[in-house]
Amino acid sequence: MKDERDELLDGLFVAARTMRRDTAVVEERFETRLLARIAERRSSWLLWSVWSWRLVPVFAAVAVVVGLGSVFSDPARSTDIFAAFTNGYEEFQAASLLAGG
Amino acid sequence: MTVDTTEPSDDRLVADARGGSDDAFARLVRRYKRKVFGLAGRFARDDDELDDICQDVFVKVYENLGTFRGDAPFEHWLTRIAIRTCYDALRSRRREQRHLPLGIVHNEIEDAAIDARQAAAQARDLLEWGLSGLRPEERLVITLLELEEKSVREIAGLTGWSATNVKVRAFRARQKLKGLLERHYER
Repeated sequence: MKDERDELLDGLFVAARTMRRDTAVVEERFETRLLARIAERRSSWLLWSVWSWRLVPVFAAVAVVVGLGSVFSDPARSTDIFAAFTNGYEEFQAASLLAGG
Repeated sequence: MTVDTTEPSDDRLVADARGGSDDAFARLVRRYKRKVFGLAGRFARDDDELDDICQDVFVKVYENLGTFRGDAPFEHWLTRIAIRTCYDALRSRRREQRHLPLGIVHNEIEDAAIDARQAAAQARDLLEWGLSGLRPEERLVITLLELEEKSVREIAGLTGWSATNVKVRAFRARQKLKGLLERHYER
């Protein structure tokens, strides 16, 4: 059931409904401002994209240098891919033999 | 020589804008800006905020044109984006100040001799004051329901909330508004 407050509120809604904000001034040259903003966003995105592509060779060169460095700076490198495990096991066997185990 | 004066359809303009035509996008903006400004004008506090909201709406539209599948009309899709953007704007406001001399407003509204247009403007200010005391989701629902005259079902479709949720929020908003106005008049 509607009371007095409902009627007051409904009256406010009716009045406000008929009263639209005048947006003519803000609408003026809106497309121009909008397209300028879009162009700005587009160019900044383009800048990021260009720079990230330009930096690809730099990152690739760093990766190659690090790779080569790791190959040539390790004289004990073995072709046996299980060397890390077997070397440790052999040292353990030798130690236990010498200790009389 | 015949000149084709028919306006291109929304789908045509969307396709062209997707293809990189700024002119097609500008035509879409011209076609729908009045609607977006009208809707955003219900929520914006001033012209600067109104301009920001409307720009945000169309930037989102531009950046998401690729995701528009065309299942629903373009206008419906645009309205959804506009409503979401208005809702985000409401949520981003920390606290609104209320500084309207509402006692004066109320008396003048009741005066039958007053100019109707002035009374409507004052009623809008009074309502704006009340609406600013609501939670963003309540304000969104009551504005769409009472001022934009959308149905509960339409609001549910536009916001992605369930119809029950919309009804509950509308009810709460109305109760709160009544309470706010009543407390004000008692002062």
